[in-house]
Amino acid sequence: MSSHDHDEVMAPTPGARFTAFFKRKDVRTSFILGIFFTAVFVVLGAVAYPKWMPTVMSTDMKGIERLMVMFTYISAPVCGVVLGVATYTFMNRHTGDTPPPDAPAIRTNRLTVGLWTLVSTVLAVMAILYGLIELNSANDAAVADSKNALVVNVTGSQWVWSFNYPAQGITTHELMLPINQPVQFNVVSTDVNHDFWPVQLGVKTDANRIAVTHLDTTPTKLGKLDVKCAELCGLYHAYMETNGEIMTSADFNNWVTAQGGHTA
Amino acid sequence: MTTLDHKTTTRPVPNPKKSLITKLNMGTGIILGVAFAFGTYYWLKSGQDMSRPNNVNKVLIVTMFMWSLGFMIGIGAFIGPFRWLIGKDLTPEEELYLAGDGQGIKRYFKYCTDHKVVGIQYLVGVMTLLGVGGTMAMMIRTNLAMPGSKLVTPNVYNSLVGLHGITMIIAMIIVATGPFGNYIMPIMIGARDMAFPRLNALSWWVLFTAIPVLCSAWFLGGIPTGWVAYAPLSVQAGPGMNAFLCTIIIFAVSTAVAGMNITATVVAMRAKGMSWNRVPIFVVGATISVALAIPAFPTFMLSMVQTGLDRTIGTGFYDANMGGSGWLYAHLFWIMGHPEVYVILIPGVAVLMEILPVFVRKPLFSYGAAIAGFAGIAGLSAFVWAHHMYMSGWLPMFNGPFMVTTEMISIPTGLIFLVMLGTLWQGRPWMKLPMLSVYAFLWNMLIGGITGIYLSDVPADNYLHGSMYVTAHFHYTLMGSALTGAVAGLAYWFPKMTGRMLNERAGYISFWLVQVGFQVLFLGMFVAGSEGQPRRVADYAHMYAHADLISTIGAYSVGTGFIVLLWAVVHSWRHGKIAPMNPWGAKTLEWTVPYPVPLTNFPDDAMPVVTSDFYGYGKAVK
Repeated sequence: MSSHDHDEVMAPTPGARFTAFFKRKDVRTSFILGIFFTAVFVVLGAVAYPKWMPTVMSTDMKGIERLMVMFTYISAPVCGVVLGVATYTFMNRHTGDTPPPDAPAIRTNRLTVGLWTLVSTVLAVMAILYGLIELNSANDAAVADSKNALVVNVTGSQWVWSFNYPAQGITTHELMLPINQPVQFNVVSTDVNHDFWPVQLGVKTDANRIAVTHLDTTPTKLGKLDVKCAELCGLYHAYMETNGEIMTSADFNNWVTAQGGHTA
Repeated sequence: MTTLDHKTTTRPVPNPKKSLITKLNMGTGIILGVAFAFGTYYWLKSGQDMSRPNNVNKVLIVTMFMWSLGFMIGIGAFIGPFRWLIGKDLTPEEELYLAGDGQGIKRYFKYCTDHKVVGIQYLVGVMTLLGVGGTMAMMIRTNLAMPGSKLVTPNVYNSLVGLHGITMIIAMIIVATGPFGNYIMPIMIGARDMAFPRLNALSWWVLFTAIPVLCSAWFLGGIPTGWVAYAPLSVQAGPGMNAFLCTIIIFAVSTAVAGMNITATVVAMRAKGMSWNRVPIFVVGATISVALAIPAFPTFMLSMVQTGLDRTIGTGFYDANMGGSGWLYAHLFWIMGHPEVYVILIPGVAVLMEILPVFVRKPLFSYGAAIAGFAGIAGLSAFVWAHHMYMSGWLPMFNGPFMVTTEMISIPTGLIFLVMLGTLWQGRPWMKLPMLSVYAFLWNMLIGGITGIYLSDVPADNYLHGSMYVTAHFHYTLMGSALTGAVAGLAYWFPKMTGRMLNERAGYISFWLVQVGFQVLFLGMFVAGSEGQPRRVADYAHMYAHADLISTIGAYSVGTGFIVLLWAVVHSWRHGKIAPMNPWGAKTLEWTVPYPVPLTNFPDDAMPVVTSDFYGYGKAVK
């Protein structure tokens, strides 16, 4: 924003000018409002997402929750600036049927435009780097885990999920997984596009007719699992869901045996 | 270009015995269109085995196009081209008649070349589409109020979702560039009419023929695919899908014609002295928006042509069994689909930027940054489409690059915020209806923009893709931002378009009902999405019940607010306070002409000459 103030004589040194700028009522009030809104968004990020998002049951889901919170922190100061300035001018509004008095004719301000562009670029680059690093570490983990992974072949058909465990020789409609063992899903569709979404694991991929897609993750917490379809697939899309569970490896082996499969 | 004979002092009416033009209107169009449609239907049906879906699709698609063609012939759209064909042209009298000179309300039902008539036609059309789409939204939210609701069947629900989507997308694409781009924009740049007035009428009436086609989807069993119409689901779908694909193809023709026309008008017909750095920012925004639509929509049209071929003659563009691929469809669709959201957003933002300096009595802060913002968004938007396909598996190694381009859009978007905040800074905004919308925009676009960054991030999208979170995000940008901008434009230009002021009290009531309800509705939806509720579901688990109920309550507030706005518009149009020529004290050219705006906008001897830009508000700073 402009550092010109039409009411005061310009102070001699940059430091004094900054002080004078900051003493202006609009600058000070906007700043305080900005701090307030930043704080609101920081609290929202720290509290809301962890509360809303489901139980974290995999390393991927952990990373996603951390990322959502972190992005909220990064964007909080942006919200602070925008809402601070907007709220101040809103408080300073003019009502009635005649136009307000003329305001200072500020055409532009190079410093402000430059600084704004620079800061938003830095913030965007930060977000990009954070995402790329997160993406890369997820990929690395997948490669490292792929050797001893439990393979599950997932098939989506209108409107049912099937899970085939090739090493165990069983096929079911419920997704049971042992804890702390990497798992690789090979996902395919027999008809239209579906999207395989084991919600608490924080991974997702389309089930296509044309090619098999792959997902890797490692369950880290015992508990119930929801499996949903996240791609509109026709009449009963909403009901194309099933249950699952992350269990101890002993329980998992018992379950496999009970299903008529063979344990390794 | 209309070659109006300005030297004629009297109002010549073509000889009614000789001229066909005087006899044609919307009624003759509908009669011929329906006749064409029925004729085609029964003629084609007789030779076909109608128990085969392919044949049904064939008959229906041809029937729908014949309706559109018949209507256009019946309303007289091809009289001009036909005259050219036989080496003649319309006479000046006929040109003047086509421009609707002295025909009162009848001209709104004719093939009228006057840009002001086309603007009003678009306004009524947009409001109708928004009303229809909004009603469907209310039905969706009512069904989702509680889990286990059996209000509508899953088939009807899926159709509601898809047809709400496509109706709103069509309405939103034309919501600002249709009414204001046609009515206001030519006056704003000091032109007498659009560059191609006959094409202007064509763009509206072609669009008009798409509306019954779209509605026919309901009588043909609906569509199961959502508005994205992903293949192979769209190939497998019932006869309603034909209505969808015909609508898109017809709409693409209309958009192409309108886009070319607006671009040509702005490039070629600006007033003397209106150099590029003096063009009002709304005109810049509208032009960038339609210029972005021109390359984007043909891919949508193509994708629908291929869907149609798969459905009728059994090609395999999207059929994996025949070597086709659903990914091909997804690419074609999103190569249109992502630029398209900015086609919607940019004019809305531009309206608000046009309004801001008037109500703050300050120049627009950094015109250059505003242009850079629009151009940056438009340019980058062509390289981000595959962020809709992170989870499709088509090429996971490309997710990173698409994440980079997508998140870079936050930089030009930031410039838009800078321009608005910079204009507000040190100002005392005049809190009239249009100005209130600026504040609503700042909040809504902030939420919509930031949630867009989460979604553009591949790991986060692993969780959020296909959830209610996405739905909430794009409603914040398209409805909360673009539609808010368009409503501001309606309140701002209403005096110029109708000669009356929009009822202020009803406007305020509507504003607060809509905007507060909107927050309740979509913040509730963000919660449902974060909790893991997929989008486009007719039913959901009990754990999402609270969030969904809150959303539905908000939806009723929004719906009530828009009904109030509709009442305000209809009532004020007929009984509103007579508006002065320039009620807001604005400097742009449209406020220099009286109401009703003369046929050629400006008098012959006083064509506007522009000597500075239009933002010379405020007092000089030291």
